[in-house]
Amino acid sequence: MAPLMQVLSQVSTIARWEIRRSFGVMGKNVLPVAVLLFILLVAVTGFTADKGLHLQNGMYRLGTDNPAVAEIFGSDPRFVIYLGDASALNAGRDSLDVVISGGEVHARDSDRGRAALTALSRDYQNYRDSVYSREQDLFAAYPLWIDLVPVKSELDFAETQSGQKLSIAPATLRFPVPEGPVQAIPTPDAGVAFTTEELRAGLSEVQGQESQIARYTELLGTESPFGSFKIPSQLSPPLPFDSIILIFLFIFPLYFTSQFYMMSIMQERLERRGEVLLSTPAGPSAVIAGKALPYFAGMILISAGIALWVQAPLLILVPLFPVILFFLASALLIGMVSRSFKELSFISIFFSTVATTYLFFPSIFANVHVISLVSPLTLIVLTLEGEAYTLSQYLFSTSLFYLTSAVLFYVGVMNFREERLFSLSGLVSRIREFVSSSLSYRHPYLSLFAFNALTVPFVFMAQMMLLVLFFNLPMPLSLILLLISAAFVEEIAKSVAITTLLLDSPLKFPWWKVVACSAVTAAAFLFAEKLLLLITLTQITESVFGSILFLSLGALTLPFLLHFAGVLITASFVRWKGGKGYLPGILLATLVHCLYNAYFILGWLT
Amino acid sequence: MKARNLALVMKKDLRGLSKERTIVLAILLQLFVAMFSSFLMVGLTSMYDPGALSQFSRVRYGIAYAGEVSPLEDLLREDRQFRVYRMDLSQAVAALGERKLAAVIYVPDTDPGGGDPVKITMYTLQNDIQAAVVEVKLKEVLLQYEKDLRALRIERLDILPVQVNFPADTRTSDFYEFIYGLLIPLLLFMPAIISAALIIDLITEEYQHHTLETLLSTPMTMTEVVWGKILACLILVPVQAGTWLVLLTANRIPIQNIPQILIQVISFSLVLILIGAITALYYRERTAAQFIFSTAIVVLMLFVLAFPDNPLNLIALLATGVAGMEQWIILGGVSLLCLGLGAATHWFAKRIASQGLSG
Repeated sequence: MAPLMQVLSQVSTIARWEIRRSFGVMGKNVLPVAVLLFILLVAVTGFTADKGLHLQNGMYRLGTDNPAVAEIFGSDPRFVIYLGDASALNAGRDSLDVVISGGEVHARDSDRGRAALTALSRDYQNYRDSVYSREQDLFAAYPLWIDLVPVKSELDFAETQSGQKLSIAPATLRFPVPEGPVQAIPTPDAGVAFTTEELRAGLSEVQGQESQIARYTELLGTESPFGSFKIPSQLSPPLPFDSIILIFLFIFPLYFTSQFYMMSIMQERLERRGEVLLSTPAGPSAVIAGKALPYFAGMILISAGIALWVQAPLLILVPLFPVILFFLASALLIGMVSRSFKELSFISIFFSTVATTYLFFPSIFANVHVISLVSPLTLIVLTLEGEAYTLSQYLFSTSLFYLTSAVLFYVGVMNFREERLFSLSGLVSRIREFVSSSLSYRHPYLSLFAFNALTVPFVFMAQMMLLVLFFNLPMPLSLILLLISAAFVEEIAKSVAITTLLLDSPLKFPWWKVVACSAVTAAAFLFAEKLLLLITLTQITESVFGSILFLSLGALTLPFLLHFAGVLITASFVRWKGGKGYLPGILLATLVHCLYNAYFILGWLT
Repeated sequence: MKARNLALVMKKDLRGLSKERTIVLAILLQLFVAMFSSFLMVGLTSMYDPGALSQFSRVRYGIAYAGEVSPLEDLLREDRQFRVYRMDLSQAVAALGERKLAAVIYVPDTDPGGGDPVKITMYTLQNDIQAAVVEVKLKEVLLQYEKDLRALRIERLDILPVQVNFPADTRTSDFYEFIYGLLIPLLLFMPAIISAALIIDLITEEYQHHTLETLLSTPMTMTEVVWGKILACLILVPVQAGTWLVLLTANRIPIQNIPQILIQVISFSLVLILIGAITALYYRERTAAQFIFSTAIVVLMLFVLAFPDNPLNLIALLATGVAGMEQWIILGGVSLLCLGLGAATHWFAKRIASQGLSG
């Protein structure tokens, strides 16, 4: 117990130093300004929410001869409206995008004219809805209501692996007859479960929201206030609008706080200030943990505070936890790698944009597709919507975050040494240094195995990102792009460790050793891939996309040969030509990988 | 202030930037954002638009119709996207669970012209992207049925909306507003943000690496150092923004008034850069300066966006070619602001120099 207590006391001492130091920096000058700015921020947010964002004001010119029509569209700031009689409208025709005369709409035949027409027809729809929801007889204006009932598909999704096609478009013209047991479905009640006034209030409530989203796309609609009970125009997949705004509220403070940690690490490297810390009996892991602790606690506190403020359940901290770890781990490495403040800024802006995209974008589809579970934020959306998620869903969306954070922290600890912290070489060579000090030259096979197994979570993360990016595109195109880019990412990941070894000491690696190292790399990759798949399997492999990313679980020989061939090609080029051989090697390996996938998985080329 | 010294500081900082090559990351970042947002739009549209995907347009989705006879059944049968089967409800839902159907519709025995609403029950597959596509396709038919029902009940409406007839066959244009009204303004705004963050780094770095003393021991003055850095950051703005404009034009997105856009971008970038410079000079420490600056910028941007004819709105108008006189008024206002902020920066740098570095 004693050593553990010692480490804990070291961590807490360093944490206390860190708090004192950061308050010293933030001190008297910053806090009052920060408080003032925060108050201003709240005030301005309210003000702008009230006034609306004015980005597209005055984009279109509308001419009309009817004052009533001018009034309908007058509330849309995108339109500049000219009221005049027919001859005046005719004279000004060239400068108008849309003309409404005698109740008929004419748009100019140009991109802007068509866009104006689209905007106008949505406005008109909203206007009609607002009139209709005021009707005495609501059911004369809204005569049709739809109750949506979700049905769980009973087919086993793992079937895709054996090549079965999963489409709801029928393959045959035969009359559909269920093969399995038929459960009696009670005849739905024809009555409406809401009062007329409830319906009226709900309808006018969503109208405002609708127009803001509809500016950019008609495809995502608002949620019906009555759950699954909808009017036809609400049938588009809903965008969880409020939840997404709430998510930003949670993520934004995390960025700021991780910036502070990043900067604190960087500060230790300025003028070798960190030497004091390194000379204390506390090891690098205690230093890193101690410095991270205040920020970690701060993030948890802030998130809990926000959760209480918006009256969300504290349960949302559970999916947020791995995200916080990931931010801190990345901040540590960014702080350790960058050479200057400029570099720190660029890398951290780059990182936060990519991370936001990864976290944020899938959650838009929270109600549409299982792919959205790639991001832990989807779990937050679900929690906010009052829906439960299962443990396996939690594991699926957070395991990559836990694993990558662990690896990043490990690399940080291994490199938290004088010669790394105070070196000033370029970004790429620094990363190579980091990799090379994580590898042991006495046990090249063992460290190759460990390193490659640990890169797999990152590869998965990158491939998930690609999947999210491409799954929107039309079908053949998205598959091809995914095929190529996924192979490319995988080949690069596999090549990192072995290339570093070969470039550091080419003479220690005769050709037979290159082959052996490639085999170890391939084995490690396969091993980690299968292991990770066991956790995440059920969620994603159901789609044809899944089968490209993650080779089938069943066979082992062919995937091993593929991984082996890929690494061997790159390694051989590097052994043969040195650093210059890397690019052609990677490209050739990617090509081989793509051909394999195309042949075995998609059954093309046959 | 000597022009030669200004140029020296500027060159030194620009060389430092190009040596680190991390500016490449900034450019990659912008590309990434642009690519991603376009993917989002194009992807979403083609996913739901049957015409965009020729291979899916010939697919006919199986729909089971259960319950009472109604005009909806005919509407569904007329639509070439569906193949309608009349089935028993329990049978149909079981077939849906086995993915032999795309949706099941149950229609009750409600009088279409009566006082009660017609409440349809629709069964679809849970959490499935294809189910979402089918829902969107069914929406068109259901909207038509809603219209027919409304026509039957029109006598009972007590307020009638003003009638406006839209041309029947219109190609909608979803991207125009997104590209000109959102993407282009944001893309052109990013260089401003990047340059403003950069000036803070450049100034605080001299303080925190204690290189400022060395610089000032040469014949260079504090004001020359500060203005040289401001110029270095400012010069990057039109370079990045110009690249964007060229790229967009090459992508067949025509942009009007390019010179005026560049002038606007440079002017509001200068405002942000000057605010950044003042913050950095005041705090002399990166963490504090970046934190205060970024919060202040969020406040400022949110506030400005609440008003029409703000710089982002103006860029949208200029790019589409509908901006009028207001652009020159805004430009004048922003230039005045730059003058004020510039004078403040100059005065502040001078004061720091006279107090010595210890202060």
